[in-house]
Amino acid sequence: MPIVATEKLCKTYNPDTVPVHALRQVSIAIEPGEFTSIVGPSGSGKTTLLNMIGGLDKPTSGRVLVDNVDLTAMKDSHLIDFRLRNIGFVFQHYNLIPVFTAYENVSFLMLLQKRGRQEMHRRTNELLDAVGLGGRKHARPREMSGGQQQRVAVARALASEPKFILADEPTANLDSDSAMNLLGIMSRMNREKNVTFVFSTHDPRVIKRARRVITLVDGAVDQDQPQN
Amino acid sequence: MKVLLVIAWRNIWRHPSRSGVLLAAVVVGLWAGVIAVGAMNGMTRQRIDYLIESEIAHVQIHNPEFLAEGQPCLFIENHWEITAKLDREARIKSHTMRTIVDGMLRSPIKTSGVRMRGIDIRTETETTTFHENIVAGEYLDSETRNAAIVGQSLARDHNLRIGNRIVLTFEDLNRQLTSASFNIVGLFESASADFDRRNLFLRSDDLNAVLGDRPVYHEIAIMLTDETLASELVADLNRRFGHIQAQSWRQLSPELNVLVEIGDLMLFIVTMIIMLALAFGILNTMLMALFERMREIGMLLSIGMSRKRVFAMILLESLALTVIGAFLGIFLGWGSILHLGKVGINLERFACGIAEIGWDTVIYPFMSPADYASVAALVVLVTLFASTYPACKAIRINPLDAAKDT
Ligand SMILES: Nc1ncnc2c1ncn2[C@@H]1O[C@H](COP(=O)(O)OP(=O)(O)OP(=O)(O)O)[C@@H](O)[C@H]1O
Ligand SMILES: [Mg+2]
Repeated sequence: MPIVATEKLCKTYNPDTVPVHALRQVSIAIEPGEFTSIVGPSGSGKTTLLNMIGGLDKPTSGRVLVDNVDLTAMKDSHLIDFRLRNIGFVFQHYNLIPVFTAYENVSFLMLLQKRGRQEMHRRTNELLDAVGLGGRKHARPREMSGGQQQRVAVARALASEPKFILADEPTANLDSDSAMNLLGIMSRMNREKNVTFVFSTHDPRVIKRARRVITLVDGAVDQDQPQN
Repeated sequence: MKVLLVIAWRNIWRHPSRSGVLLAAVVVGLWAGVIAVGAMNGMTRQRIDYLIESEIAHVQIHNPEFLAEGQPCLFIENHWEITAKLDREARIKSHTMRTIVDGMLRSPIKTSGVRMRGIDIRTETETTTFHENIVAGEYLDSETRNAAIVGQSLARDHNLRIGNRIVLTFEDLNRQLTSASFNIVGLFESASADFDRRNLFLRSDDLNAVLGDRPVYHEIAIMLTDETLASELVADLNRRFGHIQAQSWRQLSPELNVLVEIGDLMLFIVTMIIMLALAFGILNTMLMALFERMREIGMLLSIGMSRKRVFAMILLESLALTVIGAFLGIFLGWGSILHLGKVGINLERFACGIAEIGWDTVIYPFMSPADYASVAALVVLVTLFASTYPACKAIRINPLDAAKDT
């Protein structure tokens, strides 16, 4: 059973003035454990699609099912809680709470989820080690490089044990070494812990690491191909 | 909750100068506010205490008709019965009886209307502090026959000196006009020049000797062990005895009542001004903080922080800021009041008119624990109120803003 599925998803911006059809009848299904990349030219609707899947925005028509729960029917306040418990996010930037250290940022969602202290402590340390920042636990975001910040964001997304993690161009602001490093971490988590990732990107080297590539053109699925 | 407090706390120190300015404003505002309020409190309280202690006492009893018409024949008829009861009353510290007659004072210069107050020296001294108002000469315990003490302003008007003889003319108990001469043994100065001009003090025995064939009393003044018992005692006395009217100081002195009300009003105004300034300070600071954190708050909403928590975070941030400021300000205010309450604030240089109308020129500021508590509670309330708007704005942020590139 897919962990995320969209059914004939359509999104039209400014329907009354100058309609922009950002998504047209997108139907995709993501199975647990996938490492999927959404690609396509600028303006093709990648961000729009990820926002719909993540429950950050409502489609004009169609449905989004996460673990068979219809997000489009959900009330806004429920949706926030649903995101907290089920979906991990890594944004292109402004991911972290600036006044918190790496350690605090990673444990933040677990605090909101009201997890036990010990578990929180253990998982935070484990994940910071896993993303290679075991030594920078007490650094604030502004004391870290862009790549390090993105790795903290990935660790935070992982810490909340979501059903899947969405990442909209997580490497767009990184140099290519940092980008590959981040991808390496994501892909290792995917292989070792079976964490499901859906990410968008422009970077051909990043696309190469994906195991499934969905190509959007003009808001519609153009290609959907597995990769090894 | 703790994590919200941590975020709030750290966000405060993200802009030390901005937060510092608000903090300093809160501290100074409350410090000055506490002193101002304390000074006004002290001023009113001193005035009230003075009037009660030197003259009015807590409760007075009269013949009800005497209050309206003021004739000497309208005395308290059953005073023995009443004083016997007062002597047994545990709530009462002391009481004294006064013979009061309105009449004319004639001197070689002019004639003026005065109220003659015949007092019993021993019980009057136990009950009020009037004897402390003597500024020259002797008190009524003087050996001189028919001794009188007059107010300094009255003496000045009539060009009277100690040792002079004055002639007082008034109606006696049989409504016959009679005159008697008295010897000035001392001068007094109370808190009010007007009072001094219109009242003079005699021994009630001397006055009664002229007034009729038996001693009469028009007023019983009662000092209680505790001021708050006044209305209760008044009710008891009025229920128990016929043909008298007992009144508490609040009923007796409209001036005091107005004073209490003006004091409360001034307090209210000063507090409102400070609180209004506080509210705008908070509003401004929190809106600034909010505008630069739109993206961050959008991100928090995206990753699953509930609107309730975002709301609480903003409130906590402003609360933390003002509560620290309020604590410091109130603490400084408390210290200042403690000090000034002993030393006093001397207003002589600023307000020479104050003494003229009978007010103390040295003010001893005073704040009760309840006053401090209500100031603190008000700060919290105003803070919550003022940060509600920024907090409402915060929870209306669209989480999509976080994901946007620019
Ligand atoms: N809030 C909006 N209002 C109006 N139009 C929008 C809005 N957001 C996106 N669009 C339009 O929808 C289309 C899809 O945009 P989207 O951001 O999803 O593209 P994208 O594939 O993420 O592009 P990029 O690679 O540049 O990030 C674009 O034509 C865009 O201009
Ligand atoms: Mg995009």
